[in-house]
Amino acid sequence: MQRTPFSRLLPGLLAAVLLLPGCYSRDDLKSDAGNNKAAETTEASPDKAPAAAPSPEADPSSTTAATGSLKQVNVFLEVSGSMEGFMPKTGADAQNTRFQQHVAQFLSDVNRSASVQRKTFYRIKEKPYRDSYQQLETTVREGIREPASSTSIPAILDTLVSHYYQPNAVNVLISDFIYAPRNAGAVPYIKTDITDALNAAGRSDLAVSVYGHTSDFKGAFYPAMKTAAKRINRCCDTDIPYYVWVIGPADAVRRFDAALLKKAPGEQAHFGVKYSAAPSSLLNKFQNQGAWYYGEKDASKRAAGATYHTVAVSEVSAQQPVEFVLGMNLQALPALYQDLGHLKANLQLTGQDTDAKIVSVFGATDQTRASSGPEAQYTHFVKIRVTKMGKAARPLQVILQDKRPMWITQWTTKNDSNINQVGAKTFALSSLIDGVAAVTTDEQDQAPIFQIPLTLQPAD
Amino acid sequence: MQSFFRFLYELIGTPQPPADTPVYRQIVFPNIGLLNLGISLALVIIFYYLINRAMGVATFNKLRHWTLFLVLNALIAFIVVVWQAKAQQVTDHSYIYWLATLNAVYGLLFYFLFSVILRKGSTNASTTPF
Repeated sequence: MQRTPFSRLLPGLLAAVLLLPGCYSRDDLKSDAGNNKAAETTEASPDKAPAAAPSPEADPSSTTAATGSLKQVNVFLEVSGSMEGFMPKTGADAQNTRFQQHVAQFLSDVNRSASVQRKTFYRIKEKPYRDSYQQLETTVREGIREPASSTSIPAILDTLVSHYYQPNAVNVLISDFIYAPRNAGAVPYIKTDITDALNAAGRSDLAVSVYGHTSDFKGAFYPAMKTAAKRINRCCDTDIPYYVWVIGPADAVRRFDAALLKKAPGEQAHFGVKYSAAPSSLLNKFQNQGAWYYGEKDASKRAAGATYHTVAVSEVSAQQPVEFVLGMNLQALPALYQDLGHLKANLQLTGQDTDAKIVSVFGATDQTRASSGPEAQYTHFVKIRVTKMGKAARPLQVILQDKRPMWITQWTTKNDSNINQVGAKTFALSSLIDGVAAVTTDEQDQAPIFQIPLTLQPAD
Repeated sequence: MQSFFRFLYELIGTPQPPADTPVYRQIVFPNIGLLNLGISLALVIIFYYLINRAMGVATFNKLRHWTLFLVLNALIAFIVVVWQAKAQQVTDHSYIYWLATLNAVYGLLFYFLFSVILRKGSTNASTTPF
């Protein structure tokens, strides 16, 4: 009676309301005071009006921050001897490695990207040397001409954060990240070395995204542990990992990840990157069960786009459990945090006086996407079951803890001197990552990736 | 007001499916309750004051005429609920028809009460229904 026809008109009405300030502003009223501001305002209004018109259709304002372009990206490619196997000189057989295909494509993507204003490319020998895009692309495709002697990872990281760190810009480092400490006694200090290097310039908003890939490898392999041999010639029968590290201020790293590495193949991990809250809502007509409804005061208005986070339960027992689904839109997050396996392992539910637990985590299907209900807006769903609850309103939180993904441990080896047997692993990778995590996260108070506060209350 | 209608209509149990509870309590119950009262009052006024006083019709004051209006009122009360359920886009459920039946019963009641209160003011039907 009060709602249906009116709600259809609502978008139009909104557009009209948004147009109004463009046509008639407070400045018009002020013009009484003797200014000739009124003339300016009326002149400006035709420009403002069309700009305001499309805004109701566009996404909420948060997207503007996400789409704003980065000022600069510096791409660093390590060209020491240990990288030669990834970029063998093209022989008569004209074979190339997956590293060459992937990195060449990545460099091209960066060079072409509209989300970064300025792109610079460097070869890292003893220190970074400026290259043009074409030069670096040629190096990747045709092999390293003059391999540099090994450069230590901490030294490179130190240089990057000290001299190339800028607001609204990121540094991308492509390397095998094999860090050979001087002797076996120095192995326990790998973490500290990395921490100190990254902390050298004392950047408080430092963030690092690590992308792990593997590639076939055709050349000499220089193991970090030289117990068996200093180099393994004509290596390798196994794939060798290499990494793309994105280093910079947290906000810039997040935006670079979203713009260029959204669909990155391989593995990933993120350190110190902050994400804005993911849109979420309870869904009262999607796989729900039991006697509960939205506890919000204005739930009956069912405004378009409204989200709900309060569960009012009228009856619950072991025989009559309540099940509700929380829809989340995780599109803005990196692929790692959209991965169902990672979510299933790391999504937590915390509550008081209740046995509420997560029953299942699942992704959007063609059916949910095509639905006319609110579930169509969400990419991921968490189903929660309750059979017992407190006598009054209690908070309930869905949290994605910042847990390190499993692959880092799996890709780590303590001894790479016999790499063909060890497989596609990197020496002391988890120690390197420990070093990164020590700089980017506050170990006392680990912030979760996201947390969605809900309220569980008895129905009134 | 909301809590009064909520009491009235939740005598047959809470709304089903539970997810629509806020819509029923805050929109559907007040709407159908007020409409029911208003329509019952209107029919009573038409019967006693329009037909049997202002228009001076002399052949429409028997019990069966009063009953005709009574049943008409109940029918309207029933239809109002089904229409409201559709208009508010609540989920289809047999509860809608239970609620409609309850509203029809309230319609009978309201019509009877208004009749008892207002019949004295009629010239031709002041003794209908008794």
